[in-house]
Amino acid sequence: MKKTKGKGSASPKASGKEKVSAILMLLPSTILLAVCSIYPFIWMFRYVCYNYNGFKATYTGTANFSRLASDSTFWKSVGVTFEYAGLKILFIIPLALLIAVILNLRMKGHSVQRGIIFMPTIISSAIAGMIFTFVFATQNGVLNGILKSLHIIKSPVPWISSTDFVMAAVIILAVWGGVGNYMLYFTTGINGISEDCYESAKIDGANGLQTFFYVTLPMLAPVLKTVLMLAITSAFKDYESIMVLTDGGPNNRSMVMFLYIYHVIFGTTNSSAQVQIGYGALLSIVAAVIVGAVTVIYLQLAKKLDKVNG
Amino acid sequence: MKETHAVYSPGTKAARAIGWIFLTLLALLTIFPVLYVIFGSFKSNSELLVGGSNIFPTVWSVANYIQAWQQANFAVYTKNSLILALGVMILSLVTSTMAGYVFSRTKFKGSALLYGVFIAFMFINTGSVSIRPLYELAVKLHMNNNLFSVIFISTGTGQATYIFLAKGFVDSLPKELDEAAKIDGCTFFQTFYKVIAPLLKPVIATIALLSFRQGWNEYVLPLVFTMSNDAMRPLTVGVNMLKNAGDGTAAWNIMFAGATIAIVPMILVYIFFQRYFMGGVAAGAVKG
Repeated sequence: MKKTKGKGSASPKASGKEKVSAILMLLPSTILLAVCSIYPFIWMFRYVCYNYNGFKATYTGTANFSRLASDSTFWKSVGVTFEYAGLKILFIIPLALLIAVILNLRMKGHSVQRGIIFMPTIISSAIAGMIFTFVFATQNGVLNGILKSLHIIKSPVPWISSTDFVMAAVIILAVWGGVGNYMLYFTTGINGISEDCYESAKIDGANGLQTFFYVTLPMLAPVLKTVLMLAITSAFKDYESIMVLTDGGPNNRSMVMFLYIYHVIFGTTNSSAQVQIGYGALLSIVAAVIVGAVTVIYLQLAKKLDKVNG
Repeated sequence: MKETHAVYSPGTKAARAIGWIFLTLLALLTIFPVLYVIFGSFKSNSELLVGGSNIFPTVWSVANYIQAWQQANFAVYTKNSLILALGVMILSLVTSTMAGYVFSRTKFKGSALLYGVFIAFMFINTGSVSIRPLYELAVKLHMNNNLFSVIFISTGTGQATYIFLAKGFVDSLPKELDEAAKIDGCTFFQTFYKVIAPLLKPVIATIALLSFRQGWNEYVLPLVFTMSNDAMRPLTVGVNMLKNAGDGTAAWNIMFAGATIAIVPMILVYIFFQRYFMGGVAAGAVKG
């Protein structure tokens, strides 16, 4: 037993009995962590060199690796993932920042505007994908209906079934579903900027644009850095809504890598093509490494920029 | 100072007006697809298949809901969604508040490391592959034919954020509370349960809503677990199964009704508890 301390004094070290209760209280979440996160993580490495279809696993040596090297569908999906993530961030971050800045003027109805723009984030991405399937439908979709009645288009646009438009459809869905989140991050960041900064900018005669570029933006830099990192990591792992909207098609034009991996491990929705879990596990590791590498590169760049500015 | 906040030059006024119009347009664009689906769910299938730019039905009818409820199994899907969402919520609340309290108040060998592992798995993302071993495990334990395994896994993959939020909140409570409780003879667990837990109300509300949303919106996980078991499907999976069934265009009316059933409860929860949702998202991001 540990030495007992006098009553009332703050004890930095837990007594034996306290320790037991502390460990017991941590047990449920630790078991969940071990089963749901650590176990699958280790499991993934186990089948990397196997051909495993869910029933039978055969050792195939480096076959999965040579397949990876020549799997053009996978490498194409990596390209699509970068395209998707790049475009999503390109649109969502400036838009979210703009919304946050305007909301901060606290004009009439701003809380309703904010409430509506944030709303898509509470809708399941699977249902969101479905809603946009209706919106983008070629023949009877409401978007083509509206564009037609406004005489913007003559013949219906094949949003989802054409390789030319499918990425636009996917990005629109991604921005619709995500902009509210980033708007809120920026709103929180802007609220953290002291009112004095704005007062002194005003006294110096700065106009709205000047205030934005010389006060708001520099003061938001640390927030922007974090938000960009969140945006990058989340954009690379998106696949649920794309799975529902296009399922990667047409011709794999909207196939992001995590969606391709899902198909390899669990089969496609309409075909019972044999699943290849060993190969899928290898792809998952490669995908995780790609996302990790992008994050590290981004963090290094952000650090360098800090040095230049500071 | 002569000028107050409320007085603006004509130029500023115009800029503000443009900003306001921009946000209003954006809000309308955002809400449009949702309203389109909700109103569309009252249209007849033939009207939906013709399309066009009308968002209001020519004839309002609840036939789609009756059909969805009676023939398309939506009563079961809705029940499953509720069980899933409430299950994830309750389990998340219990595990994350206890863990958050322990991580905030005690230090023992390896506690910092363990907390680090929790946080690390917030960022390690391997996608759907992790569902495979868990599914096989559930089959082995004969747990694959009830929703508990889905609740368990959903909680396990989401809990890190909630532990993080709970720990942050307990950190902000004065330690003197714990000491006073100890002097009064409370054990460690009693201190948590009788003194700290009641003070956690705001963060409990946030965690409850975020985890309810997580359970209600879960898609790929229940999709895999209910591949061959229609009676276990939540709404997200059930509605999408209609999309893949048959030629896809036949049952638009039921899909509209199903999508509405899947989103409206969540939207109502959101309208009533908006600030907790936003508070949770903001707190998670800023501290992270």
